[in-house]
This record gives sequence, structure tokens and C-alpha cells, in this order.
Amino acid sequence: MTLLELFGYACLCGGAAFLLLAALGLWRFSDLYARLHALTKADTAGVALVALGAGCLDGRLVAIIPLGLTAILVAVSGATTGHLIASAALGEDEGEDENEEAAQP
Amino acid sequence: MMTVFDVMLAATILWTAWTALTAPDRTAAIAAFLVFGLFVGLSWVRLGAPDVAMAEAAIGSGLTGALLLRASRGMTPPAPTRVTAPHRAAAVITAAGVAGVLAWAVLVLPEAAVVYDPLVDANIGDSGVSNPVTAVLLNFRAWDTLLELVVLLAALLLVAALRPIRAARMADLGPLYPPFLRIMAPLSIFLSAHLLWLGTSDPGGAFQAGAVLCGGLLALFFGGTLKTDGPDVMPLWALAVMGVVVFVGAGLLAEALTGTLLEYPDGADKAWILTIESALTLSIGATLLLLFSGLRQGGARP
Repeated sequence: MTLLELFGYACLCGGAAFLLLAALGLWRFSDLYARLHALTKADTAGVALVALGAGCLDGRLVAIIPLGLTAILVAVSGATTGHLIASAALGEDEGEDENEEAAQP
Repeated sequence: MMTVFDVMLAATILWTAWTALTAPDRTAAIAAFLVFGLFVGLSWVRLGAPDVAMAEAAIGSGLTGALLLRASRGMTPPAPTRVTAPHRAAAVITAAGVAGVLAWAVLVLPEAAVVYDPLVDANIGDSGVSNPVTAVLLNFRAWDTLLELVVLLAALLLVAALRPIRAARMADLGPLYPPFLRIMAPLSIFLSAHLLWLGTSDPGGAFQAGAVLCGGLLALFFGGTLKTDGPDVMPLWALAVMGVVVFVGAGLLAEALTGTLLEYPDGADKAWILTIESALTLSIGATLLLLFSGLRQGGARP
């Protein structure tokens, strides 16, 4: 086993651990903001590490490009949807008036 | 090792299906349905059908989920209904009967099902493409695909003929959305074109490409960049109709050139298939967006 493969497996295990923690956080945390916090960050790191590990194990450019793209897309969409969900929930928590205002840009 | 994965996958599919059916409110049920679709897509990968997997994940789960969410906003919350024992018994008997017939059909199937594969293998050289799924969809059985597009157009016209849905009230999506859009919109076009081109040799094709394109169009629609009311809607309608028009036109032109409907001229099959698929991709993307946005044509109506 080469050093690169070892690094790849380490990344895969680390990514799986992050994803497991994200799932655990989603399941056990009490309110929406804490859950989002666990989900968006741990999720992004988990997928990026799994992609990095898989890229190291495969080594071909044709595999690394889609893996990198996947990691970037997950990071970008995770951050944006997390922000959208949090701000929508914040609008609901702070009463309907604010919500009405926010709905009319 | 893979058996463990498959058993867990099957159990997860059943569990998400159960969650979708028993969820307390509609949004949770639709969310469970979305997850269910993704796992069904994964099971198609395990069954060696990546084309179906992509279609299931993109259209069956993603876009259908979006349409369901959109529709559920305009509906009143479900009234609590009491299901009586005879109803339950009837449902159990029907479900068991259907499951029994399906199980019987699967057990009987193998003897009859192997006719098609060798035929495709023997003729794939003439089809102009090397992905057997695309060869069947756009060449050997192009007639079926043409009729599928007509069904999609008929669905769109039916929705348009019904009372226009109440205008979607677009919330301000905050400062993070425009940068998100700047990444996602070009990427969705790029990915869509990639899937379309890939469809000739690998899993991919017009339906998957159209679904990805629709995802990008929806993102633009949510951001308010793409409007589907007023005069802006006409190009979208033109695109939605274009798929059927180009497909029928190609069929008739092929009839004139070769004497058989949808029988492409020898040697040029790939160019014909790619032309038709490009039109279908744009058409499917526009159709799905129009279905979602609720078809408010020409501004306010009484």
C-alpha cells in the first residue's frame, strides 16, 4: 500500500466520521439552528474528505474532476440552503410582520 | 459485503416509503418522498441501470418533489380522517393481491425477458450511438419517445387550460443567493450539455439533461431573474413546444429521405439523434419549469 493510498483511506474514514457526526447532530440536537449548524458544516467537510479520499485512491483526472465538482457543489448549495432555511425560520420566529416585509423586496 | 449494503438499502427504501405515507404533515411527507426517490435511484445503480437511476433521481425525485411542494402550498391542510376497519382490510387485501401478482410475474419473467438484449446488441452498430439505452430510445423505439414527449406537452396544455394557480409569492432570498446563482446557473447549463453529449456513449441523455437544465432554470426563477409571466413567457412556450415539433419534423424528413418514418439516413444517425436530443433537452427543461411556475400567462386574470 502506497502512502497516497493510506492517505486516501484516512480521508475516507475521516469523511465518514464527519457525516456520522452530522447525522447524529441532526438527530439529537434540540432546535433548528443547532441542527443546521451540525448539518451544513459537518456535511460539507464530510463530502469533501470522502471526495478527496476517493480521488487519492483512483488517481485518474477523469475521476478527480467530477469528485471535485461534487464537493464544490455540495459546499455551495449546502451553505446557501442552510442560510435560506435559517433566515426563513428567523422570519417566522420574529413574527409575521417582518415576514411580510421580507416577502416584498 | 455488497449483500449487507443491498439489504440495508432495501430496508431504507421501505422505511422512507413508510415515513412518506405516515408523516404528520404534507411537507414532511414530501421530504420523505424525496429521500425515498434518491434511495430508489441508488437501488437502480445497484441493479446496473445508471440511466434509470439518473432519471429517477433527477425527475422522479427532484422535480416531482418540487412540483408536489409547489402544489401543496395551494392546498388546505389535510383533514384528519378516520380509517375504518373494512377500509383497512380492503387496502390490505388489494396490496397483498398486487404484491402477489407482481411476485408471480417476476418469478415467471426470466424465460421471456431475454429476447430483447441480443437484438439490441446485434443492431447497435447501425444505431449511430454506443449507449444501448440511447439507441433504443432515439433510434429503435424512437416512436415511443416521440409519444412520451407528446404526453408531456399534453400535460402542460392541460395545466394551462385549468384555472391559473395563485401567483407564487417570491420571498427575498438574501445576500447569499446571487453569488450562488452565479455558480449554479452556468454549471447547470454546462452539466446539462455534458449529459446530453455523454448520452451517445455512456449513461445520460435528453431526459436527464433536461431535468438538470430545469434545475438551473428553477434557480433563476426563484431568484427573480427569470420571469414566467407577461411577455417573457412566450420564448419558454416556444421551447416547450419545440421538442415535439423538431421530433415530428425529423420523423417526416426521414420519411422523405429514406421512405420509413423515423428511419434516419445511413451513416448520419448520430447527427440526427443529437439534433433531436438537443431540442428535447431544451423542451423538457422549459416544460418542467412552466409546469412548476403555474403558467400565469399574460399577467393578471380574473
